Amino acid sequence: MNYSQNIRVFFSSAVFSYRAQFSWLNPTMWLTMKFVLTLSQMAFFVFVGLFIRGPSVIPFIAIGNALQTVSWNTVFSVVNITSHDKWDGTLPLVLATPASRLPLFIGRAMVHVFDGMLSVVISFAFAAFIFGVDFGQANALALTFTVLLTALTMAGFGLLIGGLSFYYREPLIFANIFLFTLLIFCGINFPVQDLPQFIQPFSYAIPLTYGVSAARSAIAGATLLDIAPLLGQQLIVGLASIVLGYIFFRSFENVARKTGRIEAV
Amino acid sequence: MPETKIQLGSASGKAIVAEHLGKVFNVAKGMLRRTKTQIMAVKDVSFEVGYGELFGLVGPNGAGKTTTIKMLTTMLIPTSGRATVLGYDVQKQVTQVRERIGIVLGGERGLYTRVNAVDNLRYFADLYGVPVNVRDKRIKELLTFMGLWDRARDRVETYSKGMKQRLHLARGLINDPELIFMDEPTIGLDPEIARDTRELIQQLVNKGKTVLLTTHYMFEADELCKRVAIIRNGEIVALDTPSGLKKYVRDASVVEVEGFGITDKEVAKFKETRDVLSVSADLGESKQVLRIQTPKGSEIISEVQEILKNSRIYDIKIKEPTLEDAYLRLVTT
Amino acid sequence: MPQVLRVIYSAFRMAMLHWIADPQWVIPNIIAPFIFTAVALTLFQGSTGPFGLYAVLGGGMMGMWGNTLYSSGYAIEFEKWQGTLEEVIAAPSKLMHVIAGRSVSNALFGLVNMFAVLAIAALGFKIQLGIANPLLFTVSLVLTLLSVSALGLIFASAFVLSRSALTLTNGLEIPLYIISGSMFPVALLPFWIHPAAYILGPTWGIDAIRLATSQEYASQSFWNGMNWNTAILLDLTIMSLITLGYAALATVLFKMVETRARTQGTLVEA
Repeated sequence: MNYSQNIRVFFSSAVFSYRAQFSWLNPTMWLTMKFVLTLSQMAFFVFVGLFIRGPSVIPFIAIGNALQTVSWNTVFSVVNITSHDKWDGTLPLVLATPASRLPLFIGRAMVHVFDGMLSVVISFAFAAFIFGVDFGQANALALTFTVLLTALTMAGFGLLIGGLSFYYREPLIFANIFLFTLLIFCGINFPVQDLPQFIQPFSYAIPLTYGVSAARSAIAGATLLDIAPLLGQQLIVGLASIVLGYIFFRSFENVARKTGRIEAV
Repeated sequence: MPETKIQLGSASGKAIVAEHLGKVFNVAKGMLRRTKTQIMAVKDVSFEVGYGELFGLVGPNGAGKTTTIKMLTTMLIPTSGRATVLGYDVQKQVTQVRERIGIVLGGERGLYTRVNAVDNLRYFADLYGVPVNVRDKRIKELLTFMGLWDRARDRVETYSKGMKQRLHLARGLINDPELIFMDEPTIGLDPEIARDTRELIQQLVNKGKTVLLTTHYMFEADELCKRVAIIRNGEIVALDTPSGLKKYVRDASVVEVEGFGITDKEVAKFKETRDVLSVSADLGESKQVLRIQTPKGSEIISEVQEILKNSRIYDIKIKEPTLEDAYLRLVTT
Repeated sequence: MPQVLRVIYSAFRMAMLHWIADPQWVIPNIIAPFIFTAVALTLFQGSTGPFGLYAVLGGGMMGMWGNTLYSSGYAIEFEKWQGTLEEVIAAPSKLMHVIAGRSVSNALFGLVNMFAVLAIAALGFKIQLGIANPLLFTVSLVLTLLSVSALGLIFASAFVLSRSALTLTNGLEIPLYIISGSMFPVALLPFWIHPAAYILGPTWGIDAIRLATSQEYASQSFWNGMNWNTAILLDLTIMSLITLGYAALATVLFKMVETRARTQGTLVEA
């Protein structure tokens, strides 16, 4: 890639960085993300749902979007970290350290896991106080556990996306697109059953799908035991994506070592 | 509507008249606590350029050359002083100035790289209001003149550095300007391309255009310019023809010493020596070259040998001062 | 052709050439509208009513918004990154006219989303769509495009004048989709948001576009009960007046941009 190509792709990535919720860099950005973005996304789909299907779908949609906010932070941040390394040129250094790479990435992802959980809590507040979702029956333990596990498994999923993204010239675009498709696949705004049959398997390959379903149950009063099967499936899917992500990452590493190309594939 | 050309003083009939131009920038620094400082890029610059002249503005980096050009081309508003370009005031008649001048700001910038040369030129032709019936013909002429016509339909990103520079130059000529400003036009170019560029500039002047260029290559100013202004710290310290400027250092010869083992210590000793007006040193790894300006001429050789007794001397030459020597004297004292 | 129009057309053409060179860059700007519309399409499976209308037309509208917000908003930054900003400012043409050309092309490319959604709606969801009044539809679409472009000019200048304005783009996207009534009637929103909807020119435009597409929509329009054609004309008149207001504001902002560039030497934010 010659110089002007680099600049072009970089600035587009830079544009993405602005859109890519680099929230921890900038207080205004963080606030905007946490509050404006989460509320407006929820509001948009609540109103669309209200318009098309009537007020009964509001809790379904509100809770779905609340859980989905965790994926912004976790999936996107992990992808950002892994592809950011590539652009910054620190990747060779990272690859070169003898420290086991997985813990390194997971360590950095943890910050975003908690940041993501915070987004969900804020969204629940919006759901309760603005859209009138009833949390009166909610089982706090089950709900907390669900949110935590969803954040963790989606972080693992982010590693998978991060691992894949090394093969793309514009990994941030890839992640951005992916993030939005969660809105369709994961039962956020409508049940997975509403999707065509052939698409549904993809939904069940994403940890978020289980988390959203479990959260709805927990808010309705289900106990931890009741939702354990769902959480168990979520855990398996999450672990599988971590493993897959790690495999992709290592294979990229090997390709890079063989061809001598690490930077800006 | 008749256009009024604003006349400054007795400056009628001059292509450029600059009167006490000054530019102060307010810079805010710091992330949390913004402190404001003022940078005086140009203190007081006055000069005139006649029609058909090739005028040079030389000086060290940061002296104010680019800022001065930007003020004259309406890209910066002066904080003090006035100027007219082709008779139009640069602050009050901005559009008239912009229509009639060409601007070439050195380097490979100023081009849309994902698009081809013809489209680049066509775009700027449209922005400059080049008459449509003339536009396409002129694009072809310019690209042919620059030797780019056979690659005209290729994306600019595929061009070499030299080709981009030539296209940049073509872009600066798209409106067939009477007066062209060039900021360091040959910087960073391979010697052959730089030489071709200088020839092009000479041809432009031969056609009757007026050119103001900035450079920090003295030999370039010497070769091309009818008159040269030396700018330092935002002020003009000398303005004359190249031979006029050289006379400034006529009082001194230049003793050029080539040797090995010469360090800053020796250079400092030379600077302290009586009758040494200035010393410039090129301290390379395998060879060092000193240029010593002194009125003593060859009489200084014994002192040279004394100071350099621990070094190896390969060669000592006595030379005529060049424009570069005049420049160094004016800029470093 | 008068010089102003020539400049606008030339900038439009240049933006087209850039799009042809890299068509994929429109995707990130319209991915959100596309997905949002796909969700809406899925949601209305089995419902009756003119929802398909909302989905497809709304999708086009949101596409225009998204692409304008991000592409026009960054239009001046783009010149900076290309290294062409100084040359463009140095030209005798007004910077605002240059960016206007770009802005129109950005709004136009946003319509790509409409066609994408249309394709999916027709193929995947088997929705039938016909246009009741093609002439008024086209006129409404063009005028709405111009209104969005004018807003793009405001974004372009505001985002250069103030870093905070730039940061706010992230938060502005979805609220714009909501307030403009792209996917659902403005009437559904709390009453205190309505004024914000009304000052957005394109809100009236999408109303006109929907009216021109189908009679079914009439009852949800702003002018319920009024004669169809009159309603459309009212929408278009209001939108045009607002657009002129945008153009006036943009003129002021661009003057500020240029003054700052010529005072500071670069487009440095305050």
